[in-house]
Amino acid sequence: MKQSWSKLLFVFVCTVLLMSCQKSSEQQNQQPAQQTPQRQQAAAPAQGIVQGQSSGQTTSQPGQTTTTAPAGQAANVQLVQLDIKLPKPMFVGTPTNIAVLNLEKPLGKPRPPFLAPAGTRNVAFKKAVSSSDEQPVIGELSMITDGDKEAAEGSFVELGPKLQYVMIDLKARHNIYALVVWHYHKQAVVYHDFIVQVADDSDFISNVQTVFNNDIDNSSGRGVGKDMSYVETSEGKLIDAKGVQGRYVRLYSRGNTANELNHYIEVEVYGRAVQ
Amino acid sequence: MAEQKTSSSDELRIALLGAGAQGQVLMNACLKIPNVRFKAVCDIWEAYNLKRAQRMLDKFGHKVNAYEDYRQMLAKEKGLDAVLIATPDFWHAQHTVDCLSAGLHVYCEKEMSNTLEGARQMVRAARQSRKLLQIGHQRRSNPKYVHSYKRLIQEAKILGRITTVNGQWNRSLQPDNGWPKGSSIEPSILKKYGFRSMEEFRNWRWYRHLGGGPVVDLGSHQLDIYNWFLNARPNTIVASGGIDYYDRRTHEWFDTVLATFEYETTFGKVRAFYQTISTNSNQGYFESFMGDQGTLVISESGGRGAAYREPTAPEWDKWVSMGYLKAPTGEQKKPQTDAVLDVRETVSPPSFELPVKFDDPYHKPHLDNFFNAIQGKERLNCPAEVAYETAVTVLKVNEAVETGRKLTFDNQEFKV
Repeated sequence: MKQSWSKLLFVFVCTVLLMSCQKSSEQQNQQPAQQTPQRQQAAAPAQGIVQGQSSGQTTSQPGQTTTTAPAGQAANVQLVQLDIKLPKPMFVGTPTNIAVLNLEKPLGKPRPPFLAPAGTRNVAFKKAVSSSDEQPVIGELSMITDGDKEAAEGSFVELGPKLQYVMIDLKARHNIYALVVWHYHKQAVVYHDFIVQVADDSDFISNVQTVFNNDIDNSSGRGVGKDMSYVETSEGKLIDAKGVQGRYVRLYSRGNTANELNHYIEVEVYGRAVQ
Repeated sequence: MAEQKTSSSDELRIALLGAGAQGQVLMNACLKIPNVRFKAVCDIWEAYNLKRAQRMLDKFGHKVNAYEDYRQMLAKEKGLDAVLIATPDFWHAQHTVDCLSAGLHVYCEKEMSNTLEGARQMVRAARQSRKLLQIGHQRRSNPKYVHSYKRLIQEAKILGRITTVNGQWNRSLQPDNGWPKGSSIEPSILKKYGFRSMEEFRNWRWYRHLGGGPVVDLGSHQLDIYNWFLNARPNTIVASGGIDYYDRRTHEWFDTVLATFEYETTFGKVRAFYQTISTNSNQGYFESFMGDQGTLVISESGGRGAAYREPTAPEWDKWVSMGYLKAPTGEQKKPQTDAVLDVRETVSPPSFELPVKFDDPYHKPHLDNFFNAIQGKERLNCPAEVAYETAVTVLKVNEAVETGRKLTFDNQEFKV
């Protein structure tokens, strides 16, 4: 008799636990597709960003970044998946000879979703762009923020050789969570000394922060970079900017594996205005 | 014997005729050659190609005059040594003949011409002008290919008796080329230069009266290597292909082709397979030469190039110690012992990578060879007569697809 009661109790506990699990699963499935609560960040530590009022703790290793939010603040931030529209793939023409040190391996599959605080949007869209090369070889600087990401003729600006930069004025200070950059994806090429910096002033004197740098030998004089070089694709390069604050964004490069010129199809800066 | 440059100056003054995608490839490679100076550029697309080329050369300190009409360029530019031609295939013969007649050395992109008659005119013009004509089969000057042919095949004979060749160039789907708004060429200009529309101008490779389609654009490079490495010309061809995927109204040439050649070489019969696919990029592009003692897999692509010794062949230690091959790394894969069927697999051969390091743009060594030949320092690696043999080989593929029959090459076909 005692054994029967024990068995009955065991079955009851298992049933309650099972129902509890099912309910939790259903609740999760009912979440809006584009919204991901903070607690899911652990599932994608390299892509998620949590930004409180003060900076979280960030650690970086080649190819891996983990961000931890300040205690007590993270729970209030709702993360959403960035909706990044991709152009059509377009590899054509004569292949080029790629021989680059520190080159990252292609992921071989679509990039995982990137999470940023709700309200984050492309704040670079239609913003003014200036450049170290004021007379591009072809194209206009305005093409960099016009929303056209195709690799066709007429969609990119071509800048002269050597180290060149383009600068986007976001018109106000923003928390910047991510950048997506398309240099030129009509050919499989790698851009040299690709450096992205954010600052409060257009001369890049005040509050200069580097969010990407693959200049591993500091040949461009802006510090030794630890990020990896990568092959251009239609997916663009997503850079985790970790919520840095600034108004101006500069992107440097020093030619590519096909030629000594510098190209931009589109740059998107995902952020929110600083309150 | 072609006339060489007699000027005391080492500087070579050149013009670019055709500043589209391939013209830019040549321009970029030339900018890495110190003694070459661009003096003029010509393209019928003034609002884009011509403007872009002129501005780009200006950025590198080459002040050039820009022309829409090449005849005007030849009439006005009197100090030129050579012209690089990168126009659509159907213009190659006329442009080359006129430039040679103007007393200039010519580097002309492959395919020599979209017709054999055009290619023959080019060979004859080069002979008559006594100027140099190099055709842009750039693998002929690629250090990796030169090493493979001279050291591995000819000298070391590591492949033994070559029996089979296999090659391919598979590419992903590609959208048609467009053009920026407001930059269209005037219809009268298009008509003057043989194009019926801007769309045709931007996608000329697909049209029968302008180009030769994928097997000519891509296969030409690789079939040229078949002839070179086998030191022979094919005797027969049978081919299958069609416009299987793309819109036939705008894609007149075959998007998919599979060809089989038979070669009677000095060492026996060789069967050579070649395919090009324009809808799938699987395995990319390479050429594979297979003999009874080994296999050589080679590609212009930087990451490929290795030899594989057959298990029954003599050791290659000698060639490794001489630096002809890198020592194999990694363990050999053993045959599966749990196979259900008795497939009698042989052990996977070890991989001996090629020791040639080559970081330059692919076209630079071939251009170097051309400019050195102008200065009398080297012989051309791909003169008109050699490229003509390749043109005969390549243009026959489309004919074989068209007829659906096995075609025979007459040895006289390869001569002009």
